[in-house]
Amino acid sequence: MKGLLRPSAVSAACLVSLCACFFAFSSHTAQAASPVSAAPPQTVVVPGPLRSFLRMAGVSQKIPPEEVLPLLARNVILRGYENDTETEFLILLDRYIHQARELQTLAGPAQEIRIANCADATNLVHILGYVLRYPCGQKNNALVTANPERAFLTTDSGFPLTALEEALDKDAPFSYYYPSTPVPVIFSESAWVQLGNPKRRREGNLLDVLLRDRDVSRLYSAMAKIDTETGMALQQSPGLGKLIPVAGVLNFYGSQLCIRSGRVNVPGGADAEAGWTELVGASPRSPGDFITHLMAKDNGWLAVYYDDLARVDLNQQKHLTQSSRLKHLYEAYRAPGIEPSATRSVFRKGSELLVLFTRLDWDSSGQPYVPGNLQIWGEILNNQKGGFKPAHDWARRSRSWNSPEQLLEALVSYSRLETDSGPLQIYLALTEIDRARPPKMRLSDGAVRLIANKFPRYHAWFLVFSEFPDLNDTSINRFVMVADSVDSLSNVALRGNSLGAFQANLSLWQILARQGEIPSAQMNSSWQAAVEPFAKIPSSVQLFDAARSSLGGIMLAAGGNANLSQDELIDLLAGPPQNTPEGRRMHRDMVAKIHSVLDDQRLASLDTLFTLNDGLKEMAHGAHIGDRLLPLAEDLREFELPRPIFTESEKIDWAPVVYSTRHAELQVRTDLTKVIKGPGSPPQLETARGQLAPFLRDTLVGLNYAYYEPPGAQVLHNNPLFVRSHDFSGITMVGGEPFWGSPELFGVGATAGGGAYLIGSLADLPYALASMEEDFIAPENVQALIWKELVPGLLVSATLPRWWNISHDELHAVTLYQRSGEQLITAAGKNPELRSRVIQILSDRMAPQRLDWIDQELRQNNPNEVLPHMLPDETFYLGVEFRQKFAPDFAAAGSDAAALEALGTRDPAAVDPERISRDFGVPHPTLAHTYGRDLLHMKQLPAFGGYGARLFGESWESGNLYWARLADEMGYPPVMLNRLAPELTLHMTARIFATDIEDWPAVLRAMQETGEQFRQGKLASLPPANAISQRSGEPEGTTGGIR
Amino acid sequence: MKRFAVALCCFSTLFFVGRARTAGQEDSSSIRVNVVLVQLNVAVTDGKGNYISGLHPENFSISEDKIPEKLATFEEGGEPVQRLLQGPGSPVQTVSVPTGSVPTGTPSQPSVQDANDVAPATRLSGANVFILFDTSNYMYRGFVYAQDAIADFVRSLEGVNKVAFYSYSRDLSRATALTADRSKVLLGVRNTVAGDNAALYNCLLLTVKDAAPLKGKKAIVVFSNGPDDASSVPPEDVTELAQSTGTIIYMISTQQAQTDPISEAVFERVSKATGGKAYFARNWRDEKKAFGSIREDLAHLYALSYYPAANPNHGWRTISVKLVGKDVQRYRVRTRDGYRLLQTAQVTSASNANPGAESAPE
Repeated sequence: MKGLLRPSAVSAACLVSLCACFFAFSSHTAQAASPVSAAPPQTVVVPGPLRSFLRMAGVSQKIPPEEVLPLLARNVILRGYENDTETEFLILLDRYIHQARELQTLAGPAQEIRIANCADATNLVHILGYVLRYPCGQKNNALVTANPERAFLTTDSGFPLTALEEALDKDAPFSYYYPSTPVPVIFSESAWVQLGNPKRRREGNLLDVLLRDRDVSRLYSAMAKIDTETGMALQQSPGLGKLIPVAGVLNFYGSQLCIRSGRVNVPGGADAEAGWTELVGASPRSPGDFITHLMAKDNGWLAVYYDDLARVDLNQQKHLTQSSRLKHLYEAYRAPGIEPSATRSVFRKGSELLVLFTRLDWDSSGQPYVPGNLQIWGEILNNQKGGFKPAHDWARRSRSWNSPEQLLEALVSYSRLETDSGPLQIYLALTEIDRARPPKMRLSDGAVRLIANKFPRYHAWFLVFSEFPDLNDTSINRFVMVADSVDSLSNVALRGNSLGAFQANLSLWQILARQGEIPSAQMNSSWQAAVEPFAKIPSSVQLFDAARSSLGGIMLAAGGNANLSQDELIDLLAGPPQNTPEGRRMHRDMVAKIHSVLDDQRLASLDTLFTLNDGLKEMAHGAHIGDRLLPLAEDLREFELPRPIFTESEKIDWAPVVYSTRHAELQVRTDLTKVIKGPGSPPQLETARGQLAPFLRDTLVGLNYAYYEPPGAQVLHNNPLFVRSHDFSGITMVGGEPFWGSPELFGVGATAGGGAYLIGSLADLPYALASMEEDFIAPENVQALIWKELVPGLLVSATLPRWWNISHDELHAVTLYQRSGEQLITAAGKNPELRSRVIQILSDRMAPQRLDWIDQELRQNNPNEVLPHMLPDETFYLGVEFRQKFAPDFAAAGSDAAALEALGTRDPAAVDPERISRDFGVPHPTLAHTYGRDLLHMKQLPAFGGYGARLFGESWESGNLYWARLADEMGYPPVMLNRLAPELTLHMTARIFATDIEDWPAVLRAMQETGEQFRQGKLASLPPANAISQRSGEPEGTTGGIR
Repeated sequence: MKRFAVALCCFSTLFFVGRARTAGQEDSSSIRVNVVLVQLNVAVTDGKGNYISGLHPENFSISEDKIPEKLATFEEGGEPVQRLLQGPGSPVQTVSVPTGSVPTGTPSQPSVQDANDVAPATRLSGANVFILFDTSNYMYRGFVYAQDAIADFVRSLEGVNKVAFYSYSRDLSRATALTADRSKVLLGVRNTVAGDNAALYNCLLLTVKDAAPLKGKKAIVVFSNGPDDASSVPPEDVTELAQSTGTIIYMISTQQAQTDPISEAVFERVSKATGGKAYFARNWRDEKKAFGSIREDLAHLYALSYYPAANPNHGWRTISVKLVGKDVQRYRVRTRDGYRLLQTAQVTSASNANPGAESAPE
């Protein structure tokens, strides 16, 4: 909960002066804003039902009318053109508007299409692109396509064709309400129409202009993201016409702009105005000049810099804009010649800079934090290889560094390099590890060097060390040394199996440590016990022994016994032992889930493998136990490949690269019965032991897959080769180089390839599994999609956290914080001083436009308008911050605030925001380089491409808070969240009806709908709370946990 | 070596197997088979593709892994079910038997029905049909003609018990949940929108799972434009699940599929393995013919069932159906060629992925 703590270190006075857009000038804002908001909005007419238009425009049908034109403009920009040629999307939309206008004429002033009988329908049917199959009056008549272009528009727009068909068949009347729909327009229609191509001005209304003029669409989309007062100011100066040339930049990077009382509220506040004036070449006190210069400078890169600074919290802004830092950092950032334009891509730029600015830590003297020392950083920069033009210059300069500022400038420069393992990423990873450690335990210089040197290879695995700060430098060192050793194995099959078993065991350690089942005092010893056996793997036999020994070390630390059975290990993985009936029941459910995946993947049992291994060893020493081992050897042979539908040659011809079932095929051919029956010679028996190693690898890997099973998973249950096909050594990639990065899905859409599988390491397995299984979620709304950029993150945030040790008090505290936030908003409607405080707190969480809207609504005492649009994370944050900043007044905010205070008196730990953040937060592997759970309380991030693609999903922190509140209010025990959170997230995902990947209000809407369905008991797969409490009195079967 | 605990439950064609987890040191593991009735939908045709009707139970010989099996029930088209054998320790409650269903009198001789003859609607009674429509981008040109053909097909399924209409592109859309109301299905057909990538096998898997719990004759009719470019499950797994749940898959594809040898091969083989057929339509008229052919095929299926004799095989079980008797051996038999014992979760997990099933938009 670093975000929560940071503002408390800053004085209230300082905050007031910094509050980016709103609070600093609130007294003026009230007068300026009122007339604007009071003016009746102008509208433009959309022909035909809005629902039909939205379908054709690719816009969610759940949006309010004021969002219609902005989203239309957005879709025209993104989907309307390809290489300056109109796409089918735009052509169809244009055709639809024409068809809708024809139907509008047919509907007449009554706005209703009326057909008296079949014979009366000729014109309508013609417009729709159909024809009657038989003459009127014949039975079983139907409409059939006559004009496919028109017919496509008819069905795609959702015209009630079936009802018309039925009426025509019966020769009955048909009527259809066909209204034109007015939707609000920013400023006025004429203001936009006159911007369009002069030749086309007479052709139609704003709709036609938006469809035909991309520049106008860009500017419209941009202005829709800007708050009212800022927009009005820009319309006056420089005027919309002068903004057209910078519309693209403004659309990407303009949403944080804020003009109040004739000046731009710049990041850093009034103290930073001089710096911005120098950078931009115009004063913030001349908003028109300032913004046109800001947008135009350096091909939009200064706007990227400004936008990123405006998005970080006020405390970071203060640091980053101090004195000359603002200018120097930008000079480092704008390094010329790297890219021509900040708007060239479909996605925004600046994701890495935003991450740096968000996570940058400062030392006690206000200098950027330096992991290790500057000399080491000089070495790191000098070790960088080509691909980044300024690299050589930074390497040279680093040799004479004497200030952390210089390092920061280099990092800012490197943020333009698109990579996951450059100096910036090294810095962020090291910073996060040190941030989690106590000051005296910071990384040694040697550890910093080691991590930096090995970062390109093991960067995804270093997240373990930020998640578990108890792991010391020795543990890091041993991990790297042993991983290097495994990497160096020359036998490809042995290396693949060793990588799999090694990573699988470390991931099992990670699971158990995260669940608190490995005592803090044993963190290092157990980690090293898991790592060390893999230090030397000369053969498959040694691999088997190493994997078993490693697993034994983990089980000893977590379960007190190095020789647990598979069932006992699964008990541990399912969660710590529970002491309540409902806890034990939930634990059993989790056990069953893991077993289910292992069964469907048809993986050999650890018990079978270990028994066979021991038996073969005994036989090599003369024991006669073949009869006992034979059934187990038969068990191994029970695994069958799916029935082939392709011949071997077809697979090779049709999926030469993708086809990868060799590992599984090898297992099918493995037959230990012969060597047992023989019995074989000691060397043969030893070889047979080695044949067990691939089976062991798969079972260990399978345990990880099973643990991270996303809700609604299908592949895990229906492709029995999925686990076995995991390619650790990259043999299906050109070059065959093993990589330790996040696993990637390979073979999607390769019909003859035997199914998709993962290539890479297990480091980021939860996300990879979620990315694959999300494709099996069926959207509930016609035309809705499952957004690949968002949904995996949502699923991981619900499946990775577990809730085994949450008290009822803590669960209730989560509820009370959210309700307190809501009460504060409600009370703020009537209390200007309180409103000022609420807005001050929220200003650190919201873009200017949204904050402006909330302020306006509260000024008019309309809290009920605001509350449905507040994210649970925002109300929670408001409750926490208000309680910290204005403690004496908190309890008076309402009954829930008072109840929270009382709870805090009785059980202080339960209301501790830090603890709640750890328990109900989400992992931020991209943003914070850790899978540790946290609530960072950022402004909702925009969508980025490339390495920043996951940031948007990671900034969504409302899910678990909302599910927790639901569970609390409905009387579920906290432990039920282990089931509720994933399943409710699945339901929510199916309900998301978003226009684009940044449409987080659609996520909120889907979450609220899901919550409502859940409250009403309409989600059949989830048990009612009373059933849980009743069941808790039932006699139990086996107990969960083993300690 | 293996112990079996056999219990009957309410699914007619699903085989669930739950492996008791035993320590490796024990000398045996146990298999629990919960469902034992295997149902087969069998088409019998002559060399010209004409359907052969009027066959009797004694004309069919079934074996599983070469182990002879005894017929438990027999049904031709929409005729009443003949119960031939009582289930092991439990009544045959899983098969719907219309009132007064036991036939009397001397059975008629087999007869050849011209493939162009339209079977009466009653022959379709009891069947459940899922229609899976490809709405991915490359369907755009023929989109409306395909809708017309599907709408006609839906209208023609008069005797069918229930129909569901799903569409797919990258994701599955359960446009109309299984319903007896044809107008709802037609509404779903006319309400489809064009999509992007085609994840045929992913979406077919989900559809098979939705069909799995249903009793009796069930079929999935896929209308595809050809290549899949977004699935993560292979067709092999979907085919096995369809076979193991007794679901027939018919594939109608536009000509584009035939230009892609992989799609052509898969469509032919998946449909054949499940007892269905594949059609490659050159134009919308062919599409209509294909739908008509499927309707006829469904109307002429024999539904046979049997309780498998003891079989130690817990993997893939091969089914063989042969015709017995004078003059009938020359006819061709089409049905699924086997099944695999399923884990419960392989079927039940579909409901987790189907949160909207209880309230599919219509």
